[in-house]
Amino acid sequence: MKLAVRVLLGFLAGLALWWLATPAYNRLLAGMAEGAIRAVERPRATRLYAEDRRLGIDRADFPSTSDRPSLPVDDLTFNVILFLALAATTRGLLRDRAVRGVALSLLVLFALHVLAVVANVEAFYATRLGAWSAAHYGPFSRNIWATAMHFWRLVGCYAAAFLLWWFLVRAAAPAAPTASRAPSGRSSSRAASAGGPSRASRRREKG
Amino acid sequence: MQPAQKRFLLRFVVALGAFYLLVAIQPVNDHVVVPFTEFLVRVSTVLLAVIGEKTQSFGTVIQSPAFAVDVKNGCNGIEAALLLVAAMLAFPASPKQRALGIATGLAVIQGVNLFRIVSLFWLGVHYRNVFELFHAAVWQTALILLAVGIFLAWSRFAGGGGPVEARG
Repeated sequence: MKLAVRVLLGFLAGLALWWLATPAYNRLLAGMAEGAIRAVERPRATRLYAEDRRLGIDRADFPSTSDRPSLPVDDLTFNVILFLALAATTRGLLRDRAVRGVALSLLVLFALHVLAVVANVEAFYATRLGAWSAAHYGPFSRNIWATAMHFWRLVGCYAAAFLLWWFLVRAAAPAAPTASRAPSGRSSSRAASAGGPSRASRRREKG
Repeated sequence: MQPAQKRFLLRFVVALGAFYLLVAIQPVNDHVVVPFTEFLVRVSTVLLAVIGEKTQSFGTVIQSPAFAVDVKNGCNGIEAALLLVAAMLAFPASPKQRALGIATGLAVIQGVNLFRIVSLFWLGVHYRNVFELFHAAVWQTALILLAVGIFLAWSRFAGGGGPVEARG
């Protein structure tokens, strides 16, 4: 199958999965991130809940009459589409090692999404609540949380998807068969050293 | 993981972190990133006029009677540019090959990003219900896929047509 078609199919599958699974995924994400935040905060006041495609933030010490803030979560989790589009370009994606690589990558992505939500909630606490923020977060922790949030949104989410694909899926996928002396498809010394298909195999893959 | 892969990973992460810190510094943001974004906005306004949209630009804002967007980091192509440059610097290649790859790659990314800004504004005016989907997911992903595609194509060129894996 042509590479462009595989990318498009992976992209569309990822988009559909992400769009349809987000409400349920956000509930899972809210539960895990809430647990992570409450594990280190004193008193344990944070409660996160999924609402549509956002995460609502509540605290036991928020005034009962005040509005409850919420975070857009789509921005934090859509890199799964990028990952699946990249994964779809991998030959032999359905072989054992590559499937394990995809499964492991999705687990790592989930853990990173939890951390991204934690960073976003903490950055919200540290920078958006006026006097309360100043009273509870020093300049150092404000900068740390704000940087973590900004880094994930600007480049971290993309870099994570790219690196997981590159190292856990692409490197794990079997190469196409090459010369007769190398049935494993890893006869090229350069390819063998790096885990990729040889030049000859790539030529044959065209079309 | 092979040693060459470890080197690629280390170089990529260090380069990406360094570039991120560079653009996160306030003076760099104020004197380089924001003026560049304003330039993109002015060009986009001209392109929108060509397709019949009556728009004005104010700094990083594109505005029409029906819709307005504020182009920020993440919509100015800088994220794709940082990833591409970090990957090209991490990959073993000659300085000339790197310079050629970076110049060509950045030009392509920014050209496509202009199309992204114009198309998103057009969607915002005419199909507001799908604007957020295209803004948050479709175009962001497409631009990074483009950057990865450019990197893979360049790595073949830089490697003399050989494997695109990170080599020593």
